Amino acid sequence: MNTKTMKWLLQREFWEYKGSMFWAPVIVAVLLVVLMGGGLLYGLAQHFPSQLTIDGYTVQTGGKTIRVALDVQKRIALIASGTYLGAAVPLFGLLAVVVFSYCLGTLHDEQRDRSILFWKSLPVSDSMTVLSKAATAMIVAPLITIVLGTVSSLILLFILCLVTSLNGIDMFGAVLGSPDLYLSPLRLLALLPVYVVWALPTVGWLMLVSSWARSKPILWAVGVPLVGLLIAKWVSLAMGEFAGEPLNIWHYATDTVARLLTGVVPGIWYTFTGNGPAALRPGDNGFDPGSLVTSSYATLGTADAWIGVAIGAAMLYAAMRLRRYRDEG
Amino acid sequence: MSSVISARGLTKRYGKRTAVDGIDFEIPAGRIVGLIGPNGSGKTTTLKAALGLVPFEGHLEVLGFDPRTQRDDLMQDVCFIADVAILPRWLRVKDAVDFVEGVHPRFNRERAERYIASTKLEPTMKVRQMSKGMIVQLHLALVMAIDAKLLVLDEPTLGLDIIYRKQFYQNLLEDYFDEQKTIVITTHQVEEVEHILTDLMFIRDGRIVLAASMEEIGERYIEVMVSQDKVSAANALQPIDRRTVFGKSVMLFDSAGPAGVSRQQLAALGETRNPSVADLFVATMKGSYA
Repeated sequence: MNTKTMKWLLQREFWEYKGSMFWAPVIVAVLLVVLMGGGLLYGLAQHFPSQLTIDGYTVQTGGKTIRVALDVQKRIALIASGTYLGAAVPLFGLLAVVVFSYCLGTLHDEQRDRSILFWKSLPVSDSMTVLSKAATAMIVAPLITIVLGTVSSLILLFILCLVTSLNGIDMFGAVLGSPDLYLSPLRLLALLPVYVVWALPTVGWLMLVSSWARSKPILWAVGVPLVGLLIAKWVSLAMGEFAGEPLNIWHYATDTVARLLTGVVPGIWYTFTGNGPAALRPGDNGFDPGSLVTSSYATLGTADAWIGVAIGAAMLYAAMRLRRYRDEG
Repeated sequence: MSSVISARGLTKRYGKRTAVDGIDFEIPAGRIVGLIGPNGSGKTTTLKAALGLVPFEGHLEVLGFDPRTQRDDLMQDVCFIADVAILPRWLRVKDAVDFVEGVHPRFNRERAERYIASTKLEPTMKVRQMSKGMIVQLHLALVMAIDAKLLVLDEPTLGLDIIYRKQFYQNLLEDYFDEQKTIVITTHQVEEVEHILTDLMFIRDGRIVLAASMEEIGERYIEVMVSQDKVSAANALQPIDRRTVFGKSVMLFDSAGPAGVSRQQLAALGETRNPSVADLFVATMKGSYA
């Protein structure tokens, strides 16, 4: 593996898909800051709500700030610094859409505009090219989202602190002193390998279709699994009539289709493994963001995760082999 | 090295249709070979096989490599321009130069930039903003800066106007070609390449019908402006082609043909000269357009 070539291949993907990879999340991040931050400033600084409740503590009624005990203030600050990245949730939703459409388009687009012949006139192997595209989908795009999400959430947190301090609750010190403030972005980074594991079957499937389909890859990518589902439904119904007891294939079929099509959604691993995150249920001390990492890594202990990795890798390999002799537009 | 490309029994089938039908040929180093044939004759398929872009049957060796299994090694020494419109539309001139420099060990950046400076291309310009001629200029700038042993050009000037076409071949000959390099060109515009070719290969229905150096062709084929009174005598010598220009009969003879005519014999019939590749092509391909 030639790292210099890989660097240029990743750079090339970024050039080609700069609009969806970079500018789209930047615009969403800016909108988040402007709308949510503006809302906070406007709502709290201009029109005091009749009552402001944070974590069950009423801190403000009828425009007058209630003297809030210091430990409560601190607690509010802790919650804010532990959950501020939640503001970036729309960006992670966008990430799923961007990665999905990127994987479905990337190997198809170069065949459609015949630029594949230019790339193939250079000493770059098909395996390197396909790997660079998979890495763009599963590593580069999420990293961009993590950075933008962190920056925009920090700005929003700062605006929140500013607004509350204008209303008599000074959280700056407590927020800045909270380790969660600094750990949260690192936790997102730590989740990246989990994302790669669960996204791989979907990325592999979409890139395989992208490489194989002569036209309309979206129809193949979504249509084939749906037809498969229909057949599974039919067979399980028929067998149910015949054997008197419904077959289990329906369950496997829906599972497989979900893994093929939705694996690129961040956090989807909780629904695949069926153990909803305990972390999302606030405990005694509010929300514990650290448990998000441990519970996510716990999903990697399942055989399902690694069967998916094997299938995803096999589909990527098939996409590579297909690209080897795909030259005609 | 003996041959740059060596094919024996090279065959390519698309389903039931045979595009290339068991051809044999050798291309030595330091030649500029024109691979010429009508549409669908198999010339592009032959080149694609040599570049490892399509699977094939038979034996084919390019620079000592098998394009099927050793394509990654082969591409270190081979470059090609497949068609004018294949540079991606989002690519910027400076990014293209950076990228090729990044991935190609034999790329000479200074050379590419020198060539680009002689055109109207701007570093920040994207391919989508360029005319067809400018895209080819950019592609040529990139390719000419690569020190490849074999350059394959498949219809490189298709759709370009005459100025770009002339300039393209002139640059290729003056700034790129040397005895270490080999160029294989396919084109419809035979007239424009015949002065730069050293060898000629005519391909028809997946078979090679003529493969010779330009000198051999000059010796073998003779065109005669036959005077009016000698037309029947000339016809008796079995010309491979005849046409009429301003009321005069022009006949093409193959001295290696069954009639075995000599140059002296033909000189008696009228003025002799070497035929153009285009005329030779038309005569050889007679029937394949019918």
